[in-house]
Amino acid sequence: MPNIRYANMSHWKSIPYKQIENFRDFYYEDKTNGAYYSDWDNILKYQSALGFDGIEIAPWDMADILPLFGSPEAFTEFAKARGVEVIGMFHGAHASHAADHYDEAVRSGREAVDTIVRFGGSYMNTCPTQNYFGTGPLSREEVQQCAKVMNEIGAYATDHGVKIGLHNEFFCAINLPNHRELIEITDPRYVHYCIDTAQISIMGEDLLTFYDDYHDRISTFHLKDTASSNQPDSVRYAQDPEITDDGTRWFWEPGKGELDLQGLYHLLKKHAFKGWMSIEYDGSPDLLASMAMTRYYLDNTLRPIYD
Amino acid sequence: MHTDSISISLDLINRHHQEPNRNRYESRYFWEELYTLIATAGFTGIEIPYEPVWQFGGRSGVPMNRYCVNTKYGDAAGYRALLQTRGIARVTGITFDPNLFMRNDNLGFFFGATGHFAGEALAHAADLGADYFAISPSAYYGRIAQYHPDLDSQIEMFTQRTLDLLGNLASKAAELGVTLVLRNDYWGLFGGEKILPLLDALPDTVKLDLDTAHLHVAGIDAAGFARAHIGRIGCVHLTDTDFVDTAQIWKTPNPEFPANRATQVFRDPGTGSVDLTGIAALLDQLNYHGPVTCSARQTRDPFRALLRSRALLNQFQK
Repeated sequence: MPNIRYANMSHWKSIPYKQIENFRDFYYEDKTNGAYYSDWDNILKYQSALGFDGIEIAPWDMADILPLFGSPEAFTEFAKARGVEVIGMFHGAHASHAADHYDEAVRSGREAVDTIVRFGGSYMNTCPTQNYFGTGPLSREEVQQCAKVMNEIGAYATDHGVKIGLHNEFFCAINLPNHRELIEITDPRYVHYCIDTAQISIMGEDLLTFYDDYHDRISTFHLKDTASSNQPDSVRYAQDPEITDDGTRWFWEPGKGELDLQGLYHLLKKHAFKGWMSIEYDGSPDLLASMAMTRYYLDNTLRPIYD
Repeated sequence: MHTDSISISLDLINRHHQEPNRNRYESRYFWEELYTLIATAGFTGIEIPYEPVWQFGGRSGVPMNRYCVNTKYGDAAGYRALLQTRGIARVTGITFDPNLFMRNDNLGFFFGATGHFAGEALAHAADLGADYFAISPSAYYGRIAQYHPDLDSQIEMFTQRTLDLLGNLASKAAELGVTLVLRNDYWGLFGGEKILPLLDALPDTVKLDLDTAHLHVAGIDAAGFARAHIGRIGCVHLTDTDFVDTAQIWKTPNPEFPANRATQVFRDPGTGSVDLTGIAALLDQLNYHGPVTCSARQTRDPFRALLRSRALLNQFQK
């Protein structure tokens, strides 16, 4: 068994069919590639064929997956039959910094944990609160409130076999000035960390230093590249910065940006990391091509360093 | 029919489903180029599907609600000014459907959120100078049934709450000078002719949306429907399809994608089985002078769909 297993963070938009039985007829209706991106049967087979044995789903997938499959368990069974397991789900802990939102933030987090358990997953990568714009800067008390919520959700998750991992976006209200502060004041027994390699680099953390400093808190990764490290406050704190007006991409497939991912893998070896690594392709025009491109880079550049 | 007054719906961009190159649909630059291409295809009016969802994920590049428009253009006037520079003279209509809010068994949430955002969408329609606000009065039947398995015994309650919601919108629409139009989507509680009792219970200012493909899928002759209800039609959607629902697909949770056999329900205008040229001629005969909008919902290629739509309109009698 390798030390690292690979998953994909699901960035597929709505997939309308569970399985297309009349694939050829469907293709012939307009002779375009729509048929190739319309059912979970093929999407999961693409993943499996390219060696991504796990999928991390997103809460915004639920409105489509549940009517299609009937239950989380049915999706999990369907995916397993195609060689893919659900490793977890992303969660956004909206307004966890706000004391008057404590009950709602904890309730929502617990419900997300319950959903993950039904999918058979064991990770809940959690954005600690909403965007900086309109919210930041957070006071010390608000950061502490955020930690209180994370600890509470983390304790519940731990009791249910799920690890929550803080997952910081570069535009989150938890940002460079208080990113490490939040980690320090959360309970390491219950609250772990998911390094999104591109997000934290854009925010201004040095990827290798950060991993070296917090390697014992790291539960999993979102692996992606960037050519836009160390963005200024004016970008990170802007309104809706994730999708740029002119199509500039923050995120690239591993190896297509400027991060020292080989250096990261040497550190993974040094700290003997064992676990799942989710690849993310947000911003890609072609998720299938990105998946294949990434598999080649993993097999030929990163896995020879540490597997 | 004066084809130069026919608008095109922005629903020709597949915002919600996976396909290669879909990522560009979330950036402002895509839409601002699209307007120019729409104008080049001979359309100077657009219809906008109002979608609150873009407000929540920070994806304000998609110009489908007031938050996005205000974020990128300051206000509706700023957006209209931008459209003008791209050759789009007017926004003729706004559409709205409540499926986003049918996500649990809490009807208070469903009707509350639908009422709130439909009201916002209606005000946005007025700000944009739109002629009509076309609302789907229910979520998908199958989506509702998933969370309310006793739906069939609750139709009366759903109908009354829907009427309350629409009554409020009707008053507001009248104040704002926008025509409230009801859509009889084949997948809703009020599909086909089931829309008529709802319409009867509302003020005369509320009108019908004649959507040719929706009627065809429901097995209703669009020409006959137009003749029977011409005085109540507030807008026309020229939509095409090859699909007729003979397996009660309308009752499934994902009715736009028939689970028993994959098919593209909505075809590019002019490429399906609906006699759209005949419908256009009939509307002329019936002296219909209201808004007409082409929709290429579900198209596999929006730019091809624009030209296919224009090719169809070029066949209409002038």
